[in-house]
Amino acid sequence: MAGKSGRSISAVPERSPLRRIVSWEGALVLIFIGVLVMGRIMSASFTAENVLREMPKYLSEILIALPMGFILIMGEIDISVGSVVCLSATMATFAGNAGLPFIVVVLICLLTGVACGALNGFILTRWPELPPMIVTLGTQIIFRGIAEVSLGAGGSASYTNSADLAGLGSKVGPFPIAFFVVIIAAAIYIVVLAKTTFGRKLYAIGSNRVAASYAGIKVGKIRFIVYTLAGLMASMCALFILTTTYGVNTTTGQNYEMDVIAMCVFGGIATTGGKGNLIGALIAGFTIVCLRIALSIKNVNDQLILIIIGLLLIISVLISSITQSDKFKKMALKRAEEKARAKAGAAEGQPEKQPDDKTE
Amino acid sequence: MKFKEILRKITGNHEVSLALILVLMFIVVDILAGGTFHSGTNIADIFRNNALTLVMSLGMLLVLLTGGIDISITGVLAFSGMSIGLLMKNHVLDSIPLVPRCILLFIIAIAIGSCCGLINGFIIAKGKVSPIICTLGAMYVWRGMAYIISNSAWASAADVAGYSDFGKDGSVGPYIILAAAFIVFFILMKWTGFGRKVYAIGSNKEAAAISGINVDRVQIAVYTIMGSLAGLAGALSVSIYASAQPTMQTGTEMDVIAACVIGGVSMSGGRGTVLGTLLGGIFYAIVYKALPLVGLESIWQNLIKGVIILGVVIINVVTQRMMKRRNLARREI
Amino acid sequence: MKKRLICLVLGALMLLSMFAACQPGIDKSQASYALVTKSAGNPYNEKEAEGFEAVMKAVGVKAGNYIIRHPEAPTVDAQIKVIDSLISQGVSAIAIAANDANALSAKLQEAKAAGIKIVTLDSDVAPADRLTFCNQAGVQQVAQALVDAVYDIAGGEGEYAILSATSQATNQNAWIDAMKAIAAADAKYSKLTLVEVAYGDDENQKSTDQTQALLAKYPNLKVICAPTTVGIAAAAKVLQDKKSPVKLTGLGLPSEMAAYIGDDADHSCPYMFLWNPIDLGKLAAYASIALVNGDITGKVGDTFTAGDMENSPYTLTAVAGAESYSEIILGQPFKFDSGNIAEWAKIY
Repeated sequence: MAGKSGRSISAVPERSPLRRIVSWEGALVLIFIGVLVMGRIMSASFTAENVLREMPKYLSEILIALPMGFILIMGEIDISVGSVVCLSATMATFAGNAGLPFIVVVLICLLTGVACGALNGFILTRWPELPPMIVTLGTQIIFRGIAEVSLGAGGSASYTNSADLAGLGSKVGPFPIAFFVVIIAAAIYIVVLAKTTFGRKLYAIGSNRVAASYAGIKVGKIRFIVYTLAGLMASMCALFILTTTYGVNTTTGQNYEMDVIAMCVFGGIATTGGKGNLIGALIAGFTIVCLRIALSIKNVNDQLILIIIGLLLIISVLISSITQSDKFKKMALKRAEEKARAKAGAAEGQPEKQPDDKTE
Repeated sequence: MKFKEILRKITGNHEVSLALILVLMFIVVDILAGGTFHSGTNIADIFRNNALTLVMSLGMLLVLLTGGIDISITGVLAFSGMSIGLLMKNHVLDSIPLVPRCILLFIIAIAIGSCCGLINGFIIAKGKVSPIICTLGAMYVWRGMAYIISNSAWASAADVAGYSDFGKDGSVGPYIILAAAFIVFFILMKWTGFGRKVYAIGSNKEAAAISGINVDRVQIAVYTIMGSLAGLAGALSVSIYASAQPTMQTGTEMDVIAACVIGGVSMSGGRGTVLGTLLGGIFYAIVYKALPLVGLESIWQNLIKGVIILGVVIINVVTQRMMKRRNLARREI
Repeated sequence: MKKRLICLVLGALMLLSMFAACQPGIDKSQASYALVTKSAGNPYNEKEAEGFEAVMKAVGVKAGNYIIRHPEAPTVDAQIKVIDSLISQGVSAIAIAANDANALSAKLQEAKAAGIKIVTLDSDVAPADRLTFCNQAGVQQVAQALVDAVYDIAGGEGEYAILSATSQATNQNAWIDAMKAIAAADAKYSKLTLVEVAYGDDENQKSTDQTQALLAKYPNLKVICAPTTVGIAAAAKVLQDKKSPVKLTGLGLPSEMAAYIGDDADHSCPYMFLWNPIDLGKLAAYASIALVNGDITGKVGDTFTAGDMENSPYTLTAVAGAESYSEIILGQPFKFDSGNIAEWAKIY
């Protein structure tokens, strides 16, 4: 089965502890540290305190990246999540302004998300031959359309009772609450994907859907659950977005789907399905977030920031794809064989001629 | 019996059933709009306003046929359109007489688009990067480039005076380009080796490679064609709207893809026709044109648009299923 | 090889960040000012920035101490990211053209808590979230000018339509509401009928579709009023190409509209209005400086001098409907017609 490992830079079959470090996740950690160091050198304002303070806005997007990872691993896509954020935030705002207790507001928000996700899931499982991209494009327009209609002529609403939201947006020590939520959610999603049969089924569906269904996996049920999860997480995102806005308008959540997909892809999840893991996506998410914060603190032209992220995306995927190409694998295999031979030779007592070439 | 035969043929052929839906929708809209919809100028406007989507949908057809996707097209459109807009704004080519200058500007836009497409194609074919990721990155890059070269300035109607006459209301320019593009692609896909190769790759890449098709080269060609059409759309956009703005056509790549899918192009590759794409594009164009006309309140328009798109896609699948079942039943008898 | 690849990625990253490194940082010994426009890609915003920058240079603020940011998209999300970053940098004042009246509230309150002076320009937020608002022209004045223009061009009677930007555009909504109120209040305008408010979302294609739909739906239409820079240009193009008898007025940038303004049948727009966005940027700059220096506190009745600007010194006046909050009105909307358009088209 296509492995659980992410996009691997190490192309050699066996994976020693050292190789694990230079896997894609390892590289991501290095890049992440690189971004932090670079940010610190570039600007004195790039402090832990500031980064953590700016994070909630971006952290909420990482929440969506988790179920999006599931969807991409199944070889599918959901581009309606941004609109689900908008619709959930709208409903939460209405509920909050109606004076309902905050717990009810949260429930309404989450239920809206679940309903949206379930609708996607229902359509896609009822008519499995429909391409997910087009279905979620349709629902993307519809969900935002519902938000537009309910927001009415002004297209914008203020969350008047903002004290509750301020509580949700507050910090525990230096860490915003959103940070803990992301970490806990990520832990759950990572464990589910890596350690449960549900996770393995996702990989199976992504690798070969037909085979998976013949093997007795209820493909429809799993897809329904995953799309519903995406809706749920999008509505959680909406709650945290509200803590940074105290209001909602018709552009809330616009283009989140692209940001989120970029995080997953940068984290090593292939859009073709069956490959990648969420640890990579999580690190990639934090890397992109910190990179954006660092560049923004330096007042880099906002369009240039997008160009940099676009290039980073292409380059990172290009590198890993080159290292995974057959030619490259053959080369690496040959080298490994040579090394093994040299070692064997050394064991036989011959002087080792070859320099200790670990990576080349 | 004969009637049933005809019915079967209609539901059996995607293009015919879509054409029927189109005609039906056209009549309904015409009634709702009080008979103003079937006027010549209105039909001409439909094609002119959606010339960009229609032109790009042809390239998208090729891309989707190979099993790929390209979401960077509107970024390419903005970059190429903005480039020629700036050339005009800064009077770079003013020494050349009008007609050759316009032709040159079109060629420049198409060339810029082709280069963007070539880069996409190269990364996708040679780098084995999945198309959606490559073009997602490219979307940020080219759109960002359009912003940066524009420096937040537009090329205004006065700057592009003369050039904009080509796409002016009443000029036949955009229609000629549309017609030419569709005829060329119809021939290309139906009667040339290239067309057959594209279909072959989409149906089964490995089999195509084994049978001697240079898959990489065809893929690069396909994305380059897509890019050049996006560049052409950029040139058209500047001409039709007499303005070059870095924000132009943001988000319409999804419209283009949806138009293709509605036209029966499969997103997993190998299935779809030029005629279907044309019908899908017209479907989209009619929806866009009709929504403000039929007396809906503005804020409802997006919602209705979404419902129509989703509805048509689902109806499409349902009819196909029905047809399959009926065919199966007949075989059993 | 693997290590080399990782180095390559890191290297590319570093290289990209070189773009950034060459920009000067904030010098904390001096006050620092930021301008956040609605978005990149619109010359109107660029002109505001131009005015802001000119003042900053003129009063001797160091190059790194004034920051101009055009958010990546015309959304609240993009503006929040920018404000967050500005709070981190510890600027003294932020002047912002809000993309939404409500959804910036949380961030602006956070900025206020961090001791940052908030000024809005062009498009306001809830008055409690900012100290003062640089209003390009009073809502009433703009609406009055537009209604009068419609009245004049239509010849005192007939149907007119409004082509706006988006349904949540704060300014446009305020102007349109005021226009409706003015038209309803005065018997002079009783023969004018507003048939529809259409939204072109500030996109060329959609504005074109909407304009054509208005023409088809209302054969007796006399005037279209488009109080938005993208919409008016798209509508002007449609009307002019069709040689339609329907005329256009509204708010537009002279440089973008030069080809459409004229009194004869060949031009679709006899005249239109706007204020000087460069001056608006300047006013925001002076107001920010005055707030940081403590010359004004944002109270109604405060006055401050604004360099060589036309109406200097400016007085903070009460906001209609929220009397305890202040705004600064730049001046009257300026009329552009065939006589002066060529001259102004060169300026903005």
